[in-house]
This record gives sequence, C-alpha cells and structure tokens, in this order.
Amino acid sequence: MDILVGSLAAGILIGMVLALVAIGLTIIFGVMDIVNFAHGEFLMIGMYTGLLTAQGMGIDPLFTLPFAAVVGFLLGVICYYGFVKFLLRGPMVAQLLGTFGLMLFLRNVALLVFGSEDRAVHSGILVGRSFEVGMGVVIPATKLAAAGLSVVAFVTVWMLMNRTKVGKALTATALNSQGARYMGIPTDRMNALAWGIGAASVTIAGALIVNFWSVNPFVGLLFTMIAFAIVALGGFGSVPGAFFAGLVVGIITEIPGIWDFFTYTFNLDWMSRVPMTSFKYMWVYLAYFVIMVVRPRGLFGWKY
Amino acid sequence: MEVLRNALDFSDFPRVDLCVAALVASFLLIFPLFHFSSFAMATMIQFLMFSLYGMGWNTIGGYGGQVDLGKAQYVGIGAYTTSVMLIRWDVPFWVSMPVGMSFAVLWSFIIGYPLFRLKGHYFAIATIATSLVLKDLFEVWDFVGAARGLEISPIKYHPPDFLRLIFKEDVYYYYVILGFFFLGIFYVNWFRKSRLGFQLRSIKDNEDVARSLGINVHWAKVKTYAIATAFVSLVGSFHACYIKNIEPEDTMSLDISILIALMAMLGGAGSLWGPIIGAGVLIPLKSYLKEWLGAKAGLVGIDLIIYAVIIMLISAVEPRGIWGIVEKARRRRSV
Repeated sequence: MDILVGSLAAGILIGMVLALVAIGLTIIFGVMDIVNFAHGEFLMIGMYTGLLTAQGMGIDPLFTLPFAAVVGFLLGVICYYGFVKFLLRGPMVAQLLGTFGLMLFLRNVALLVFGSEDRAVHSGILVGRSFEVGMGVVIPATKLAAAGLSVVAFVTVWMLMNRTKVGKALTATALNSQGARYMGIPTDRMNALAWGIGAASVTIAGALIVNFWSVNPFVGLLFTMIAFAIVALGGFGSVPGAFFAGLVVGIITEIPGIWDFFTYTFNLDWMSRVPMTSFKYMWVYLAYFVIMVVRPRGLFGWKY
Repeated sequence: MEVLRNALDFSDFPRVDLCVAALVASFLLIFPLFHFSSFAMATMIQFLMFSLYGMGWNTIGGYGGQVDLGKAQYVGIGAYTTSVMLIRWDVPFWVSMPVGMSFAVLWSFIIGYPLFRLKGHYFAIATIATSLVLKDLFEVWDFVGAARGLEISPIKYHPPDFLRLIFKEDVYYYYVILGFFFLGIFYVNWFRKSRLGFQLRSIKDNEDVARSLGINVHWAKVKTYAIATAFVSLVGSFHACYIKNIEPEDTMSLDISILIALMAMLGGAGSLWGPIIGAGVLIPLKSYLKEWLGAKAGLVGIDLIIYAVIIMLISAVEPRGIWGIVEKARRRRSV
C-alpha cells in the first residue's frame, strides 16, 4: 500500500512542476499558433541558471527563482524578436523546423559552455530532508517545496492571464490576432510578451527541479515531449487544462511504481519480469498518441 | 509500358535543369574512378542515402504537405529486419529488404490510419511520439539486442558477397546505393505525374476543395505515407548492411527524423530535385564540419551549432529552400 500511495504522491508532486513546464508551451501555442520545440531547452537553461547562481552566490537554489525568471523572460523576448518573428510569415513546416533549429542551437551552445557531464546540487537547506506522512510514505522536502512553489507560480501566471489588462490583451491576440490589432492592441509586443512569460515560467520550473534532478545539456527533449503530452491532454491553449493534465501526466510517469505495487500485492510472476522502469516515459508518449487520436481537442481545449 | 514511359520522361523540365542533372548523374557514375579519400567516399554514400530518405519524405511532406517528423522509426524497422534476418537465419539482403519494407508499410498503415485524422502540428508531434515509443520498445526488446543493438560481423562471410551485401570496399556499396538512387528518381518522377501525385498536390493546396472534388483525402494520405515509408525502410535495410552495427539510439533517434525532413526542406520540398540538392549541401557540410571542428578539443558541438544556425536561417529567410530561390530568380528573369 505504501508503494502505491508513495507513487501517487510522487506523481502528483512532480505533476505540479510539470504543469508549470507545460503552461509556458500552452501560452505560446495559444497566442501565436506556433509549436515551440525549444521549450525543454528553456527548462535546461533555467536549471543551469538555478544551479550556477546557487553555487556562485552560495545560496539555496530555491532562492534563485527571480534570477531564473529574469533570464527566462529575456531569453524568450530575445528569441522572439531575434528569430521567431521571422518565422511567422512562413508555412508551418518552416515554423516547426525553425524552432527545432533553435532547440539544437541552445542545446549545443550549452554543451559548448557547460560541458556534457551531469551536474547536481548537493548542498541546500532542503536537500536530504524529508517528511514522513504516515503509512510509510516519505516525501522529500525538495519535491514538496518545488511542487508548492510551482503552484504559486502557476496561479500567478493564471492571474496574469485572466485578471489583468495585459492578460486580456494576450487572450484577445490568441482568439483573433487581426481583430486585436484593429482594436489597438500591439500584437507584435503581445507575442513577445507571450514568449517572455512562457519562457520565464519554464525556467522557474527548471530552477525548482534542479534540487532533485541532475542537469546536462541533453535534458531538454524529454521535458519537451512531456510538455507536449500535457498540453495535448489539457487542450492546446488552455491554462486550467494544463494544470489537471500536468497532474495526470505526473501520475503516468509514476506507472512503474504502481506496477510494482500490483506485482507485490498479487505476487504475479509475469509482472515482475516486465522491465517497467525502462518504459517510464513511453507511457507519456503513448498517452499523447491516444489523446490525439481519440480527442484531439484535449480535455479543456478551445483551439483545434 | 505507360508507367515506364512516364517514369523516364523528364521533358517537362527546362533544358538547363536536364543538362545539370545529366552532368551530376555522370559525375556520380564516375566518382569512384577519381580515388578520393575514403572519407569522401563515405560522405558520398551518406549523401545518396539521405537523398533517398529525402525523396521518400518529399512524397508525403513535400507534395502532400503533411509534416512527418517520425521517419526514423521506419529506418529502424528496415535496418532491424535486415540485421535480424541476416544474423539469425542467414537471409540475404535481397529477400530481407522487401520483408522489412512490408513490415514498415504494415506498421505505417497501423499508425497512419488513426494519425491522419490529425492535421498540421498535431500530426507532426504525434509522429514524433510514435517514433519515440517504438524506439523505447526496441531498447528493451532482447530479441533485437535491446540497447546494445545488433552487429553483423563481416568475418563470417566472404566479401564481396553480393547476395548479403557484405563488402570490404566502399565502392560496391556506392554503386548499390547509386542504383537505388536512380530508381528512386525515376519512381518519384512517375509519382508526381500519377493520379495519386495530383490528388496529393490538390490536398496540399486546399483539403476541403480536394474532398469536394471526390478525392478520398484520408486514403490518399495513408497510401502516400506508405510509399514514403517504403523508401525509408529500403535505405534503412541498406544502412544495416553498410554500417553493420545498429543501435536504437542512432537508427531511430529523433535527430534522424528531423534530418530527413530537413534535407527536403532545405533543398525545396515539393520538387523533384529538392531533396537531392538539400542532401548535397547538408551532408558534406555536416561531415566536414564535424571532421574539422568537432575533433578539436574544447569545441564539442560547434559543428551542430553552425548546423542549427543554417536551419534557423533557411526557415526564417526562405522557407521554400534552395529550389525556391532558384525558381524565384528564374521568374524574375522571364518577366
């Protein structure tokens, strides 16, 4: 039982962080209909930012969130004005391959600058601590803090999108960019803002997970695919959808633990022979595939 | 006969194109006589392989406008079928290649049928997802060597072995793939003038109009996807015999899929020469950059940075690729 509850709890905690990863993607997609393959690379940069600031200034990675947010915002805006803006005129193929080129670029620049070895945070106020919540379930403090702060960041972005004038302008651009332009909304600047917010939210997520996830320049693609799966499940362009879908996908990534639970509980021999941990992320891709085929709009989607 | 005549008939191209094509073709035929370095030879073989991949992608992605970023799974199916059959049952290449092709086409129907309900980005990302699922499966499947992959050891055979395609010198491989290359060109030349080719181009221009004209849009896409798959799987089989050591990581990774799409994009998707031009520019560039820059200490990945910048430039400045630039220049002159 403890394995099952532990897996579910771990899935939900990581799901909250993944939701923050996905919200950036869904904002960018919603506002300008462009799929950003470089999303995971933004996360990787966020992780490096968190790691290096923490090590350089000797503080806990959790306090580096503002730095990560600023770096992410600037990165997003620079990417938009320097590159993505020119992609918007082209056909969809060009957009897909263009952002893929951006991903390749960021990844290899990181490789050149930081080297290919894994890096991790070993010191910090929360590293190594954990809570026991009963039934033998142990929750690491780093994950709990990351999940909590993710929810805070998520709610902040959601408030920004729904409760402010800028957010309304962003939504208007997403719904009908030509109409928004006629209403006097500077759509070009709104696009840049969407890239800034999107990149900032994902770099924050990166700085949050660096406490328990080692970073190397190739970490991005996995998160890009997970974010695609979340966004597909939640519905492209839907912010609340991203949250619930993040939780679902977080639980999906913990399927090996749940599998183990059933293996031990029913003592099934054939189940223990399946190398479940190597399938860990396959379920996410499979989920994406099934969602796209069964319900392309996603659970909460309005854009299809 | 009709089919053959159509395949060999290039008369709708301008004379300049044909002259250049003839020059390039004759250069390719006599290339091994120059005795360039073995590195140049390997690069040429890569170029021919990727032109074929690109031609396959071009049928669905260029003429049909369906961006497929999961072609690597079919490279894997072709390569694995050939290796497994050769290693376990000593089946010659010329038998295992069609078998691999049938497996790949079957798989393409299985996933293509539901996938083509999607459009645009959704389709592109879903193809990536299927490709990654298959790669994950191959990485744990013991029968095909799991993550270690398979190795064809050339010692067991007596090269040159034309049945199993095991050679010591690269020249033999060069001529085999060159043969496939010309066949591929003839096939695509027939394809673009066939009924399916016209249907596909109308789907690309406007899907609703195409449907209203009585074209079975879904079925046309699935069929073309299978054709593209057959191309890719063929070269995958060849890849297995040529490289002799295949792993899921380098036959089925996302990079291969993207590279395939990129060839066609860079050269000009939707034109016969596009993928060839794209591969002709990109493959030598890639391997020489790697040779010159990648080997130097402290400059890991700089070849890929330059490469990424090229991708970004081409997609931002001229999405129709090199062929698009040529056609634009031509139109300007004729006006």
